[in-house]
Amino acid sequence: MRETIISVGIDIGTSTTQLIFSRLTMENRAGSHMVPRIVITDKEIIYRSSIYTTPLLSREKIDVGKVQKIIEGEYEAAGIDPGQVQTGAVIITGETARKENAGEVLKALSKMAGDFVVAAAGPALESVLAGKGAGTDRISKENRAAVVNVDIGGGTSNMALFDCGKLTGTSCIDVGGRLIRVEKGKVTYVYPRLQKMAAAHGLAIEEGESVQKDKLWSICRWMADQLAMALHLKPEEKEHEGFYTNGGKPLPNQPVIEGITLSGGVAGCMKEEPEDPFCYDDIGVLLGRAVRENKELSGLKQFAAAETIRATVVGAGNHTTQVSGSTISCESKLLPLKNLPVLRIEEEDTGSAESLQKSLETQLELFCPNGEQETTAVSLKGDGFGSFQKIQELADVLAQSSEEKLARDHPLVVVVERDIAKALGQALKVRLGQKRDIICLDGIAAGSGDYLDIGKPLAMGRVVPVVIKTLIFNT
Amino acid sequence: MVDEKQLRSIIEQVLGEMELPDINREERHEIHAAAADTAVSYKEEGAEEGVLPDISQVNVRTQYLVENPRNKEAFYEMKQYSPARLGIGKAGARYKTLPYLQFRAAHSAAQDSVFSDVDPEWIKKMDLFCVQTRCENKDMYLTRPDLGRRLNEQGVLAVKEKCRKNPQVQIYISDGLSSAAVMANAADVLLSIQQGLKSFNIETGTPFFVKYGRVGVMDEITQLTEALVTCVLIGERPGLLTAESMSAYITYKGTIGMPEAHRTVVSNIHRFGTIPAEAGAHIAEIIKIMLEKKASGTQLKM
Amino acid sequence: MKLKTTLLGHTYEFKSLREVMAKANEEKSGDKLAQIAAENAEERVAAKAVLAEVTLEELRNHPAVPYEEDEVTRIIQDDLNETIYKEHKNMTVGEFREWILDEKTTGDRISRASRGLTSEMVAAVCKLMGNLDLIYGAKKICVTARCNTTIGLPGTFSARLQPNHTTDDPKGIMASVMEGFSLGCGDAVLGLNPVDDTAESVARILKSFDEFKRKWEIPTQTCVLAHVLTQMEAIQKYQAPADLMFQSIAGSQKGNEAFGITGAMLEEGRDLMRKEGTASGPNVMYFETGQGSELSSDAHNGWDQLTMEARCYGFARHYQPFLVNTVVGFIGPEYLYDSRQVIRAGLEDHFMGKLSGVSMGCDACYTNHMKADQNDIENLASLLVAAGCNYIMGVPQADDCMLMYQSTGYHEAAALREIFGLRPIPEFDQWLEKMGFSRDGKLTPLAGDASVFLDEQMRRQEDGR
Repeated sequence: MRETIISVGIDIGTSTTQLIFSRLTMENRAGSHMVPRIVITDKEIIYRSSIYTTPLLSREKIDVGKVQKIIEGEYEAAGIDPGQVQTGAVIITGETARKENAGEVLKALSKMAGDFVVAAAGPALESVLAGKGAGTDRISKENRAAVVNVDIGGGTSNMALFDCGKLTGTSCIDVGGRLIRVEKGKVTYVYPRLQKMAAAHGLAIEEGESVQKDKLWSICRWMADQLAMALHLKPEEKEHEGFYTNGGKPLPNQPVIEGITLSGGVAGCMKEEPEDPFCYDDIGVLLGRAVRENKELSGLKQFAAAETIRATVVGAGNHTTQVSGSTISCESKLLPLKNLPVLRIEEEDTGSAESLQKSLETQLELFCPNGEQETTAVSLKGDGFGSFQKIQELADVLAQSSEEKLARDHPLVVVVERDIAKALGQALKVRLGQKRDIICLDGIAAGSGDYLDIGKPLAMGRVVPVVIKTLIFNT
Repeated sequence: MVDEKQLRSIIEQVLGEMELPDINREERHEIHAAAADTAVSYKEEGAEEGVLPDISQVNVRTQYLVENPRNKEAFYEMKQYSPARLGIGKAGARYKTLPYLQFRAAHSAAQDSVFSDVDPEWIKKMDLFCVQTRCENKDMYLTRPDLGRRLNEQGVLAVKEKCRKNPQVQIYISDGLSSAAVMANAADVLLSIQQGLKSFNIETGTPFFVKYGRVGVMDEITQLTEALVTCVLIGERPGLLTAESMSAYITYKGTIGMPEAHRTVVSNIHRFGTIPAEAGAHIAEIIKIMLEKKASGTQLKM
Repeated sequence: MKLKTTLLGHTYEFKSLREVMAKANEEKSGDKLAQIAAENAEERVAAKAVLAEVTLEELRNHPAVPYEEDEVTRIIQDDLNETIYKEHKNMTVGEFREWILDEKTTGDRISRASRGLTSEMVAAVCKLMGNLDLIYGAKKICVTARCNTTIGLPGTFSARLQPNHTTDDPKGIMASVMEGFSLGCGDAVLGLNPVDDTAESVARILKSFDEFKRKWEIPTQTCVLAHVLTQMEAIQKYQAPADLMFQSIAGSQKGNEAFGITGAMLEEGRDLMRKEGTASGPNVMYFETGQGSELSSDAHNGWDQLTMEARCYGFARHYQPFLVNTVVGFIGPEYLYDSRQVIRAGLEDHFMGKLSGVSMGCDACYTNHMKADQNDIENLASLLVAAGCNYIMGVPQADDCMLMYQSTGYHEAAALREIFGLRPIPEFDQWLEKMGFSRDGKLTPLAGDASVFLDEQMRRQEDGR
């Protein structure tokens, strides 16, 4: 059994808009005569778009029409029809995410990109995708080291820290190549927050003033210092706190970072520095040089990122989708389901039927924000529920609680980590019968605060694609 | 002084009264072994209190015995991808003592699972009646596969008499090559298949147990019960990784002498493979598809 | 041909040579299952006594399956050197036995005679040999073959590295490969039995083997043991680098059909290996056999499992294989009941293979439903080395997690080399020394540390940066 699906990644960033198509191969890795175990075995990028400047209508608005045109043109150039695209993600990143019509753009694009292309935004997710697109998770695993990826874009620098391949933290600061723009010898734009902080640091800069290379160089070196501080390589100064995007959190102090990969547009122009540092009408080239020459950053073990300017878009196309376990129960007519908030039953509440029920019912009530119920995904690890008897006990609680607390027209969606979903699904069906639709998946670890997208079944109905959108990364 | 035999019987009695439904076989063994050890310590001078750890419980994947390896973590991590006995070091060009004993322990469990019988108490507890093939003993079973593919006369009569006729699905259990596998897994698999079939509104026949059964005897059972689908839960030939692996063989309208390729097989059912409850749910779904498509084995496209 | 004799006061009359051959066999549960075995010990000896008087010519004229009906018979008969055959055809089996054992008969003379022997003659003389005779006779015969390196040279003893994995996981397989090489296994071949036997998967594994072999400059050969057509597809469609082409074979056309092969198919496979294989050659084929496989596919034509096994070797030699081995204890107790029968069969198969002129190894193994244990298999392995066997298997601690049987472990070949004063294939021996895994034919303390391959990998990666 070998099946391939096409996945798309679209990144609308501060400065650039890009797209990739990749082919994900799924294979049954269980032996013949065994219960199937379908996994994604290969991810091959089959098409990379040109890199476009993100079209804007004004400083505050993205030009939706033009973005759509770019995407349509690229689908055509790749010879791919949106109907063929089975999964993927549109992500809006950096400063662009702060534009007033960002949500509208995302919605419009994910709709036109394919049936199960999810919309995603948020600095934490962006950091993770860039890190995975840069291959930092793999590098960290292979070298058994704590390696951070710093994706330096136009508006933000996204950091994702991996320890032995495992994600241990993300962070995002407002350091980017397009936070100051220059044209024809004049400073044409300064990101207001940066302007304020720079002034406080004795580096006052105004829009309209003539370009002073020395001053811009000092600002870039200062921004590179902020990166070193964010990685805990340099003692923090008082302005540093102000750099965190949307008041976000710094990376955890542990593990101590050993290695670094650099991705993003700025990293892209570090390898071959153009002669004119202002050829992009911004400070990207200078910032790249400042990062390269920063003492603390260059003290880390340098690893080459698999992708630089395309890291985020590759992450969006290749690394957002996972497949569920291969023995699941689901009513496929309900799928796809998008943006399901996750109701997590923590390990400590699974000890007895009573505590399980209490946790479930209290939380179900919370998922009625306006008095109206949202379709939620009940998530639990499933350890200790392997035997037939324990599965029955779990099914009893789930069936009873959903009857009492879940509005009639909502399906019961349950995701577990352990391989028990088919047995649990059948047990639920015996209890709930025709009264309620049931979707029961395993192999999925989703935590409180996550959102889930569940696609239509693949591999002859054995698995479903799942995207877990981690909006807040809990360290 | 209490002698060993007396002590053992006291402990067994206490254990019996304790009713430990969740305790597994290994744990029972451990308790018995502990009992034996305690008994010995009354007898032998110089013997100390306490129980040695059970070497068979060591996870081979996490064991790494090479001395002064060049890059321990790197190989340890690669080893996680293999169930093989790797990273075991050496003593000269021979094995270290611990892996040697672990190997012997695994082989002893494997042999015992072949050469022992399924406990009649277990069969009773499962509420199954028992029939036998034409094999009269284990030895005959191992050397005469042809005789293990047919029920003896009493067996034929019992199946005819006690089983519901023409069920949609006939499920039965057989020892095959591992009694341990059957006792460890068959109960959960059977319950789970039955529940799954119930969720699909499919009727099942009367389950029973076949002693000294080869897979092929299922075809005779199909003909006797006139079931559409027949499913046997049978112990697999044990390996050293586990002696408790069970398979299910499933046919749609099987007949004596039909090609082996017409059987659908689900193997590797055990607590470290596909767990029994989930395997049962999977089998129930396969049966449902078989009834819909009226085929099994290579003829069934799933 | 006299088929009647008296023994211990009883008269025994056999109906056919087929019956004599079957009943002259040492006890095997498979012959009993086929209902052709001697009724008792005395009848067995009577059959041996009758067989001792049968001439080689009579054996040639009574092949197990008629020439007209069976491709295997035709290949064996047509391959004979008639001149050499004529030199020995009037010998009785008893005389031929003594000729083999005679101090004046050198290994070279036996190898020459081999070209005039049909498999029925080989099987017949085997039936008159005791275990020590089988060892003594086989030890004289030296069969070498060359793929990338030369196997079977005097003073050498080799091992196949068998890194089988329950799901063909690439990393898991390589973990086994590394540990096997670090213990001196793999000079015969690095060969895996795949779970997923699609051409694509076979190609993937072959590529990973080739890459490893090249990276570490290991003088050996690689193989993935799928069906011959699958391997051909892997080579042609997926450009898989293969040094050896594998196939399981049987001693009759019908038996081969059960494996889905014909003689022409093997010829085609060998041609492809000559044109597109990666090995220097000339010997590019690898075959596996095992007593009982013909009976299990009802392809034995009423003959005993030993004779059918001999015919595998007669068939194999047509393709000038680099390796042939019997997987002696894999088939189960209904064919070889216990350790006694397995040890006997292992010695028989090895002797017959060598007498047929093929480069012979043995997978000394057992399943868990057989009355045998690791001690028995270590006995057999030691006896095989004494008999001059070319190679045995090497599996992590003898436990094959994928085929669920026990064979010989990575440590066994090394131990046996040290005990018997033997070395691996010379180039491989030098490689082991270069890597620091052995010195003067003995494992060093570093042997068994598979992480050596990973350590270096890291260092090189960093140097390249």
